[in-house]
Order: sequence, then structure tokens, then C-alpha cells
Amino acid sequence: MLLSALLTGLVLGGTYALIAMGLTLQYGVARIMNLAYGDFMIAAAFGAFVLFTSLGINPLLGMIAVIPAGFALSYAIYGVMLQPLARRAKHSGRLEVDSILATFGLLFVIQGVALVIFGANFVSYSYLAIPINILGTTLAANRVLALVLALALGAGLYYALTHTRWGTAIRAVAVSPQAAPLVGIDVDRVSRFAFALGGALAASGGVVVSMYLTFSATAGVVFTMKALVVVIMGGVGNLLGALAAGLILGIVETLVATYIDTGLTLAATYLIFLAILVFRPSGLFGRRPS
Amino acid sequence: MLEVTNLSLHYAQHLALEKVHLSLNQGETVVVLGANGAGKSSMLNVLAGRIAPDKGTEVSFLGSRLVGRKPHEFPEMGIALVPEGRGIFGDLTVAENLSLGAYVKHARAGEAERLGMVYELFPRLAERRSQIARTMSGGEQQMIAIGRALMSQPKLLMLDEPSLGLAPVLVLELFNALEKIKRTGVSLLLVEQNVKVSLNIADRGYLLEGGRVVGVNTAEALKQDPAVQQAFLGLPGAKSILPANDF
Repeated sequence: MLLSALLTGLVLGGTYALIAMGLTLQYGVARIMNLAYGDFMIAAAFGAFVLFTSLGINPLLGMIAVIPAGFALSYAIYGVMLQPLARRAKHSGRLEVDSILATFGLLFVIQGVALVIFGANFVSYSYLAIPINILGTTLAANRVLALVLALALGAGLYYALTHTRWGTAIRAVAVSPQAAPLVGIDVDRVSRFAFALGGALAASGGVVVSMYLTFSATAGVVFTMKALVVVIMGGVGNLLGALAAGLILGIVETLVATYIDTGLTLAATYLIFLAILVFRPSGLFGRRPS
Repeated sequence: MLEVTNLSLHYAQHLALEKVHLSLNQGETVVVLGANGAGKSSMLNVLAGRIAPDKGTEVSFLGSRLVGRKPHEFPEMGIALVPEGRGIFGDLTVAENLSLGAYVKHARAGEAERLGMVYELFPRLAERRSQIARTMSGGEQQMIAIGRALMSQPKLLMLDEPSLGLAPVLVLELFNALEKIKRTGVSLLLVEQNVKVSLNIADRGYLLEGGRVVGVNTAEALKQDPAVQQAFLGLPGAKSILPANDF
């Protein structure tokens, strides 16, 4: 039972890690606190759902369409809605408040559209719901696939950000937006790109989630909150931190649900969150401000 | 190569720079001397595009107008700034900082060669290439900042008080490195409070006081100039112009 709980926890944690990486890119680099993040995910989940149920396209292939769409849409949203805020903001605190308000509105727009098209019911589809045996425990193949996808995407992104010059430039903007222009980095452009990349990750997270969870038009908020908790646990802008914190959170939630009470998972999440805020405000792996 | 005319700058009501004229020829090293608050840093920040000057200011570099350009365009044009406080990427490694120096397109070719040159100039950086920049000493961080600027293959390198906060021994080491950089043909524009060492490597100097240029001369002449002596060298009360100890 423990092993099965751990594996289920890893699957959930992998998804958390994936979506938290996207949010940490948007928040850590573009300095946009995106409250519509989870709704963006759900929109992608619906995208995968429609592709699968009405066109028979499996979610893996669906990703090829949904992820670039997530990138393009985020890129457009940043340009139309958020860039003006970023340009007029004199300091990052101001941009934070403005972006929270703006994306709070966006949340209701995305949710409203989803409600109109799909209604308020929970939906799901059955893809690769074949039991497979891992180390003596049975797990649905779609969950294993979800974990593999989350880890592969996360690792790919991490590699790109640490081993390419444009990846290093993105991290440079996260570390010091004031210093970035000194080496010729256009902070505006990099921010927009990072926001769009975060949107692409949200979209991939949405597709992954749709493979093994039921979801509804109003389920986005939960994912925004979870991603936010993971980002703060891992330290804002810290990708490895997001990865580790996501896995930890997934495992803790599943253990609590298995051994204590399903109703307490959210409570456990916020207990961890609170403990981190009180004792390590810059995150598990974050540096204390000097 | 650099021609500054009528450079004025206001911060709200406060006048930071007033009608400054300055020119710098290819390969020349020019130092701008002045006390705290004379407007030295403001001037470099305008020249690097980080602050917009007042209307009427004209700055041209190799024939192109600079005023109104965005700060990230300056490195592309061959102007590199090592700002006060160094402006390095503290959470990245030494090697990553240097590699970002070659972010501008024209610096990509010959990057490996230039990296070798920087490591030769500052062997400390070669030893510590995978160390996180912020964990290094003030002098080493200054080396990173200068090395990173050199990686962009600048035609003009501007340095804002590079000796600030360094121990005297390190200051000498730093200026030795600047001397070597100068010999590679890079033009240098240096803002300093440390008059003695900076006049030693400079060809010409400007005296800045209260946002105005109050004197221009060759470095040799400035060394002998009683006004400079009075203002900066060894008068009582002039203690504050000496470099502070390394903290």
C-alpha cells in the first residue's frame, strides 16, 4: 500500500512540478503573477478532451497542437494585456499588483468561455486506462505516461535553461532585470518569451492532467493555488526547487489521503505552505535575502 | 569616436548635469574626476542609455546618435558599461556571467579566443569559473564585471568607479589590468575618485564639479595642476576621496 501511495504521489507530484515550472517562469522572469494560470491549464485540458473525443486524436499527438497554441496565446496575451503594465510599472511591486488584478479578470474570461461551451459538469475521457504492474503494484498506464511526460518536459526545459545561451539569458533576467541590458539582453522580449514558455508548460500540464483526472470548467483555481504553493516552496524562479517541491507535495498529499483522510489533503498542503512561509520564506532551496 | 554636446540632466528639480561637453578619440583613455555627487555616475548612465537626459542633449558614437536608444542596444553598438555596484548576475556562475557577455551577435565569433584572453587577464576567474558570482570577493566581482564587458568586444569600455571598495593592493592590480586592456586598442572612459592611479593610465582628464565641467587637460598637466592638487590630493578634508577599505 505504501509503495502504491508513493507511486500515485509521484504521478501527482510530477504534474505539480511541471505546472509549477511554468508559473515560476512567468512569475520569476516576466514578474507576472498569473492568477489565470490554472484556467489556462484547464483550457488546454478541454482542448485535449475535444481532440480525443470528437476527432479521435490521442493526447500525445494532441500535445503537438495544444502546446504551441498555449505558447502563441500566452505570447499574444502578454503583448496585448501585460506588456503595457510592465512598461509603465516603475518598480516590480507595482507590476505585481497590476498583473494580479489583470489576470484575475482574465481568469473569469477563460472560465466563462469554458462554461458556455462545456457547461459546469466534470468531464473525463479514457485513454490508455490499462493496468500495468510496477514493482508489484498496479497503476493505470495513463498515470505512468503522465509522470514520464512531466519529467521529460521538466528535464528538457531545465537542460535548455542551463545549457543554452538564450536559457542563460532567461535566468539572467530572473536574477537581475536591471543588469540584463548591460550585456545587450532585451528584457521586454525575454519577459514575453518566458511568459509564453510558461503558457506552453501550463498547456502541457493541462493535457497531462486530462489524461488521468476528471476536470471541469471551474477547476482552474485549484491548480493555480497548487502551482503557487509549489513555486513558493521551491523558491521563486528556481526550477529545480519547483521540481523537488512539486514531487514532495504530490507525495505528501497522497500519503495524507491514503493514511489519514482524503478530506485533509488540502489542509496538509496549506500546513506545509504555512510552515515554509514562516520558517523559510524564500523557499526550501531559495537563498535568504542578504 | 564619442562626442557629447550639451549634456544636461535633471532629477525632478535637482540639476545633476549641466551642459557637459566631452569628447573621446579612438583608442584614447579619458578619466572624469570629481567628488561624490559631482554627476559622474549620472553621466555614464546617460552614456549607456540607462537614464534619459534632458532635451537638447546630443551624444554621437562613431557617427550614430545615441540619445533615445534603449539600454540593450548599447552593447550591440560596441559600448560596454561596468556600472557602480558592478551589475553582475549574482546567482549565476562566473562562466555563465562571461558567456552572457558574448550575448550580442557581433561578439559570438571569436568568443572562445576572447574568453581565453579574459582568463589570462584575470587568472582568478579561470580558477573559479564554476563558482556562483555573489559568493566571491569584491575585487573578484569587479573582475567578473570587467571580463563580462570585454566579452562583448567593446570599442568603448566605460567604468564607474572600479576602485570603489577595494583594498589598495587590489586597486593597483585592477589598474594594471586596465592598462593591458588599453593596450589592446579599446577606448576607455573612466569615472574615478582615485585621482592618482587613474591619471596614471589616462591620456586626458575632465574635472566635474556640481554637474559642470570645470577643467579639461592632458593627464600629465592635470597631475601638476594646483587646482586638482587642491581639490583632490592631500588637502585636509579631502580624505573622503581616497578609496575605502575592502569590507
